[in-house]
Amino acid sequence: MTQSTIKTNSNDHKIAKLAAIAVAISLVEFFLPSPIPGVKPGIANIIILYTIFKFDYQTGVWVSLIRVFITSIIIGTFLSPTFFLSLSGALCSLLIVLIFKNYNKKNFSLISISLLASLAHIVGQFIVVRVWIIPHDGILYLLPLFLISAFIFGIVNGIIVQKLITSKTK
Amino acid sequence: MKLAGIKNLMQKILLLIKKFKSGDWLVMLLFISLIFFITKYYWEFPQGQYLKIEKNNEIIGTYSLNQKNTFIIDSLMGTSEIIIDNNRARFSKSPCKKQYCIHQGWIKKINQTIICLPNQISISVIGNKEQFDSINY
Repeated sequence: MTQSTIKTNSNDHKIAKLAAIAVAISLVEFFLPSPIPGVKPGIANIIILYTIFKFDYQTGVWVSLIRVFITSIIIGTFLSPTFFLSLSGALCSLLIVLIFKNYNKKNFSLISISLLASLAHIVGQFIVVRVWIIPHDGILYLLPLFLISAFIFGIVNGIIVQKLITSKTK
Repeated sequence: MKLAGIKNLMQKILLLIKKFKSGDWLVMLLFISLIFFITKYYWEFPQGQYLKIEKNNEIIGTYSLNQKNTFIIDSLMGTSEIIIDNNRARFSKSPCKKQYCIHQGWIKKINQTIICLPNQISISVIGNKEQFDSINY
């Protein structure tokens, strides 16, 4: 028998736990019916925002990417267009959160960050769709619908993250 | 009892909204204006200027919408009648069975089309110059 030589520290365990929660939430969300195809609340992003602002940015990136990869492997969409949509959305929102990470806490709250991240998520997905999957301007006709859903779920997720962060730190 | 529940809920929502900071309102306002402009840009179709009539895949002619006129076209099943009036156009008579083309009503915006399959006639509104679509692209 070969002994495992990989040593894990507490930080790895933390990432694994958070990623497991995010994957579980994504899976539940995947099986929930949606009134409009493609519109999802993105509840798993609550965990990622929480991770970034409770711990640090690097942990958040790990959790986000692990969530995207593991969820797609479990659902069976790994390396399919759905996977790349999910990945591009995640990367774009991570980029936006990186830019606004040190926000002015006096005037802004996590609701703003959540809104901007959800906007980035939709924009990232639409760039991939327009450039690669459906290279036609007609697809942009759907943009308002997705932006409205991003607005609603951005606020809801932001409120939840804000509540989680403030209640745990006290 | 029920009223108290609603009041409680309202108070909770009010409490949530009070926690929003000024910057959050700004971001929300910007987001809503973005949605507004994008919706306006992508969901608005301009009024067309010309009506293109096709029979059996051949263009019969392109006529200005700015006139009052009636076209009578003989085709496979019989004669169809198309009316142009008040910058819009519609089928008014058709020999086909289900009369879908008539029930479509008036069209006036660019790229709107009515097709009468049994009689093989289609009319579509176009702007000043031909809009690109996926077929000629």
